[in-house]
Amino acid sequence: MPKHIFRLVCLIFGGLVVALIAIPILTVDSFYRFGHYRANSVPEIAAQEPVYQTARYCLACHTARVAQWSANSHKSVTCEICHGAAQGHPANGKLPIPKDPVKLCTLCHEAMPGRPHTQPQIEVAKHNPYASSGQQCTACHNPHSPKIATALVKVAGNAAAGKQRAASCASCHGEEGISPNDTWPNLAGQNAAYLARILAAYKSGDQKDVAMTPLAQELSDADIQNLATYYAGLSCKAAPSGKAVGDAAAGKVLAKNCAGCHGDTGLGSNPAWPKLAAQKPGYLVNVLKSFRAGLREDPMMAGASRSLSDTDIANLAAYYAQQSCQPATQGRKTP
Amino acid sequence: MNEKTKPSLDARRAFLGKLGFAATCTGAAMGVGALGAIQTAAAKSESSSGAAKSGPVPTGAKGASAEGNSFPTPDYDWTKHKWAFGVDATKCIGCLRCVEACKRENDVPGNAHQFRTWVERYVYLDGEENARIDSHQDPVNIEASGSQKEYRFANRYKDAKVDKAFFVPKLCNHCTHPACVQVCPVGATYRTKDGVVLIDHDYCIGCRYCVQACPYGARYFNEEKGVSDKCTWCYHRITKGLQPACVEVCPVGARVFGDTNDKQSPVSLFIRNNRVQVLRPESGNAPNVFYVGIDKEVN
Repeated sequence: MPKHIFRLVCLIFGGLVVALIAIPILTVDSFYRFGHYRANSVPEIAAQEPVYQTARYCLACHTARVAQWSANSHKSVTCEICHGAAQGHPANGKLPIPKDPVKLCTLCHEAMPGRPHTQPQIEVAKHNPYASSGQQCTACHNPHSPKIATALVKVAGNAAAGKQRAASCASCHGEEGISPNDTWPNLAGQNAAYLARILAAYKSGDQKDVAMTPLAQELSDADIQNLATYYAGLSCKAAPSGKAVGDAAAGKVLAKNCAGCHGDTGLGSNPAWPKLAAQKPGYLVNVLKSFRAGLREDPMMAGASRSLSDTDIANLAAYYAQQSCQPATQGRKTP
Repeated sequence: MNEKTKPSLDARRAFLGKLGFAATCTGAAMGVGALGAIQTAAAKSESSSGAAKSGPVPTGAKGASAEGNSFPTPDYDWTKHKWAFGVDATKCIGCLRCVEACKRENDVPGNAHQFRTWVERYVYLDGEENARIDSHQDPVNIEASGSQKEYRFANRYKDAKVDKAFFVPKLCNHCTHPACVQVCPVGATYRTKDGVVLIDHDYCIGCRYCVQACPYGARYFNEEKGVSDKCTWCYHRITKGLQPACVEVCPVGARVFGDTNDKQSPVSLFIRNNRVQVLRPESGNAPNVFYVGIDKEVN
């Protein structure tokens, strides 16, 4: 064999030996254990700590909140979607309460081509015209149970039977459902579904009132239906608006925030919510104040009344008391 | 340099040390002769790479005894699972909570252009043949969200005559025959026994072959760490019995995840009860994300 060929073979052979020695030295232990990769990297990746903790984690402390949330239509929207990942909570402090609900809610609920029809969607400008001036979704909707009580109660009572039963109500609410007193509400022409709902709430104790609770407890379910039908059928035309203390013009401005549910002039589109037009101002003031104080419980009204001052309440009452209770005013819109 | 790069510096130092050692060995080996050298090498490989170097045996007898009965963690046996992902595009509302959750869960850079999962919007306008496609990284959508750290679809087709529109969530398909694994020159990316394609960030040299090889654009390059990155189906969560973060936060159930070994798992039912399709089946990657409700234009 020529010398130069021999040298070449030696060189190649030497390289081979170097490689054979080098490969096992340079290859880390777990490489090739399962394949052409470092097996230890798998447990390394698996060891990372989860950041999102799931609703089960929240349940440990926030029992009541979770119970309310899980019973309602937002139950598929888990805690951490709105409040952020729970890793490090509570050790590292509180999780944020969303500052701009309009921005957050519209991520899912803004009407947009491409969203399935089953998804509840709104056009912000129509649904909440005051969004730009700071009116938040949470003013009306409780984010943990966002569905607003609507007229699911069908009222089918007997007005004649209701009239008989109403004899005992007349001393406070008037023969024709028009109260003689500024602090007791007019019932004539009120929405039947609302009357039935509120009477049932007095009866069950969900809503309490010194005068109404014992009276409502005596009523049967049929009585409630009959009474609601009777009062709803009465005409409110003679309703005299009581003397108002507040400034109706200022109330009108504020009332825009209420219009979504109660209509522009206090005649809302949904029969589950009360008509406010031509209601007694003293009564409206009392009710708003008790909502604000939490004495009368309603998730929606609690939010809506929270930021109202005593003057605001008086102004609102004055405005609604002045309105006509007849639906002739075609100004009302259904947002 | 931050702390993340420190281990790789150490590794490099160790590597150079070993190289020096190898060079010294060469001289010795030349002298000893061929047969002896090979035997030494064989012995060394035996001792250094451990007894578990038995090739493709799933849980080698000795390897298993070292880590209990299961790998990769004591509580999780990767031979008992076969993960798969389902996407129901008919349910997706394009809220992008999945994108945000993924970023947070996996420490993905907070900008609109690096992401492990994303959602595409397909809009067919009246009279137009092709769909208009955008995702959260479209400038219009970045502007609507206000920053690159928040994600939102701008309502840009509000006043247009839309013929048809839908959202398509996308992520790594964790293919059975992944092209990205094929091209990796250093064995830094691989497919696990439970069907997840992972990246070993310590071994990744940042050559980005895999980023180009992926037919789905599922990988991105993390400049900060100098490595490729992509969806792991939240491997650290699924091995602990949790759902991937995107599935966890999806408010409408458009994302479904589970174990196909379990015939009653959500994803098994999803695949069985729907006519599912995969993206780009012709690429031969055999992807494992199954879609319902998408057009042929989606790929």
